[in-house]
Amino acid sequence: MTTLFLTHPASLDHQTPDGHPERVARLEAIYAALRADGFAGLLRQQAPLADESTLLRCHTPDYLARLNAMRPVSGLAQIDADTCLSPGSWEAALRAVGAVEAAVDAVLGGAAGNAFVALRPPGHHAERDRAMGFCLFATVSIAAKYALDHHGLSRVAVLDFDVHHGNGTQDCLWDEARAMFVSSHQMPLYPGSGHAAETGAHGQIINLPLAPGSGGPQMRVAWQGALAQVAAFQPDMILVSAGFDAHRDDPLGGLTWTEADFAWLTHAICDLAADCCNGRVVSSLEGGYDLAALAASVAAHVKVLMERSE
Amino acid sequence: MSDIAAMSFEAAMAELERVVRDLESGNVELEKSIGFYERGAALKAHCEAKLKAAEERVEKITLNAAGEPTGTTPVEGL
Repeated sequence: MTTLFLTHPASLDHQTPDGHPERVARLEAIYAALRADGFAGLLRQQAPLADESTLLRCHTPDYLARLNAMRPVSGLAQIDADTCLSPGSWEAALRAVGAVEAAVDAVLGGAAGNAFVALRPPGHHAERDRAMGFCLFATVSIAAKYALDHHGLSRVAVLDFDVHHGNGTQDCLWDEARAMFVSSHQMPLYPGSGHAAETGAHGQIINLPLAPGSGGPQMRVAWQGALAQVAAFQPDMILVSAGFDAHRDDPLGGLTWTEADFAWLTHAICDLAADCCNGRVVSSLEGGYDLAALAASVAAHVKVLMERSE
Repeated sequence: MSDIAAMSFEAAMAELERVVRDLESGNVELEKSIGFYERGAALKAHCEAKLKAAEERVEKITLNAAGEPTGTTPVEGL
């Protein structure tokens, strides 16, 4: 089996203001890293457009109508201080959702062992009825609902290791008993949520706040405990919100993870997936704003996914 | 953050409380959040240094049998 890599040039048409950290160059850095010989074995596909109706799995019709009405013909439409729409943003975000759903299809259908999806904008801050934190659609949450409702899976796990709390995913999956959500994140930091006491309507949400300045050893202890709980949940598939801004060089985070830490965590997730769901992992890019650290960390993550899909 | 060095304990503490409240409210922008945290950490360090300096100045008032103050002795163990 192979590792599927999904992206699309439409991602480069999601524009942000000059100096904005969530920028086109992030994807270009990832593309450059994955052009190395070691990644020749990736199964590369273009991300399809999602059917717009799938957005309703997580978002309210009112929110989608408001966002749609804001789409600019030229220039940028600012949603909040962090988040904006450019003329290409809607398609880019829709392809991000389509890509994760296509990756779910491929991994469940046996066309790939696991998958990495690299599109922009990211998704884990988008709540049911609001865009925020660079995010428009709740990409991974929508794919989780798609795996449950379209494919009929009994349980899925969503694991989020971005340095910021996945408040949007938590919002979308709060009362979804079939989805376990685990988020590790620096606290205090944006968006301010993600306390350990926030456990979801069915006790199926696990928040792992990490102290500023902490690094790999603390992360490993936290995730080992959480992954044991995910194993007990017995998911049929694991979705990953893969943010790489916990890296020590990242300008938006204060943790000190290294590429080796991302590789360790990827192995730990794949170990769990091998035990409970035939290795089925679909990972989707969230944050990561230092270009060199992002490229090296994505490379470490994808390398492990490739090793584990063999 | 050189302005912090000249701050009183009370002023630094008040701003630290404000920074923590802002960070926890979710109203701080993602892009600026790390700067807020770093300012909070600098304020906390300043408050801790001020407290330490104050502790070193604390002395125990000694009383005589009638309960009247007779002088001071250094406090140990702070």
